[in-house]
Amino acid sequence: MHNRAGNTVLWMWRLTLTVLGIISAVPLQAGKPELVLEIRNHLFLPAEIILPANTKVKLVVYNRDPTPEEFESYELNREKVIMGKRKAVIFIGPLAPGNYPFFGEFHPDTALGRIIVK
Amino acid sequence: MLPTSVIIVLREVLEAALLVSMFAAVSYTLGLSRRWIGPGAGLGLCGAIIYSLSIDTVSEWFEGVGQEVVSATMQVLIYLLLVSIAFLVLRRSRRPDGWIRLIPVLMVLAVALAVTREGFEIVIYLDGFSSVLSQLVTMSMGAIIGAGIGISMGVLLYYLLCHPAIQRAPVIGFGLLALFGAGLLSQAALLLIQADWLPSQLPLWDTSAWLPENSVIGQLLYVLIGYEATPAAIQVAVHAGGLLVLLAMAIRIDRSGVFPVDHDYSS
Repeated sequence: MHNRAGNTVLWMWRLTLTVLGIISAVPLQAGKPELVLEIRNHLFLPAEIILPANTKVKLVVYNRDPTPEEFESYELNREKVIMGKRKAVIFIGPLAPGNYPFFGEFHPDTALGRIIVK
Repeated sequence: MLPTSVIIVLREVLEAALLVSMFAAVSYTLGLSRRWIGPGAGLGLCGAIIYSLSIDTVSEWFEGVGQEVVSATMQVLIYLLLVSIAFLVLRRSRRPDGWIRLIPVLMVLAVALAVTREGFEIVIYLDGFSSVLSQLVTMSMGAIIGAGIGISMGVLLYYLLCHPAIQRAPVIGFGLLALFGAGLLSQAALLLIQADWLPSQLPLWDTSAWLPENSVIGQLLYVLIGYEATPAAIQVAVHAGGLLVLLAMAIRIDRSGVFPVDHDYSS
């Protein structure tokens, strides 16, 4: 009885791992264009990014400051905490042409930027 | 600094505060103890501190999208706890038994998860800037004001839901929980889109000209019912599906007459 229960648990665990493996492998195969953004002295560099319309992009944000920051954009529907001296991966798009402002929630006065989609 | 900390703390506190007040109102109406609030919030606070301490590791998971996956998992778990609570309330109407005692336990878990998810950002924010003493004072002030506003809104909602007229129609309280739960699923879907675990599309519609998400009402509706000005189709689908399940249960609870409508409200 114990053995059967153990087998079931093992089987379910393997299934979960397989499913997770498949899911996490999908984005790898897709090979989305990568875009790098930096945070320095609570400023986004570059503060303006131009992207083509209807394209999905892998945004990699490096926080060069020792303090944490939160990448946030209502227009992009994105929100992610980036610890000091760390990087974060955020997938954005596909987007319709237009302006998409983003900001650092922890320093909303200085950490400002926008994505222009053409 | 002051307004920033007020807004950050308020945004995070509000969601947990509204969930607590909805649970408290349901417990009150069912004649259940509300002593779970303290342990739930305490457990959540511990969770938030542990989560914020391990955020560096978690962020590295799944090729850099661990934060999104863990957050989305917590949202889905809270939704499942809401369904379980509604199920137990329904069950009581047919067969009053000991299972009803499970409800406060599930509420503790749901509140703890909500506080962990929302609280970790506050912990990171406060911890990141607490090294500068001059900032610490203004930031703590802001945090207290933000938390105060959030908790006050929760208390307001609690008294609103405990009003006898609303209590006679439990579909309102449970309906609000259903909308809240559907919002959690929509947020979880958005996080998985951000992590590239779910496919992303152009938004289904755009209501940002009518009701911007960053307006006060937009923010309140975001927390309360998962309002999104530019939702993806997947978000709308899981929101509708999640709402349908909980709303169907809410309507059955309403019809089952499980609520002791004429109980003594002064007690």
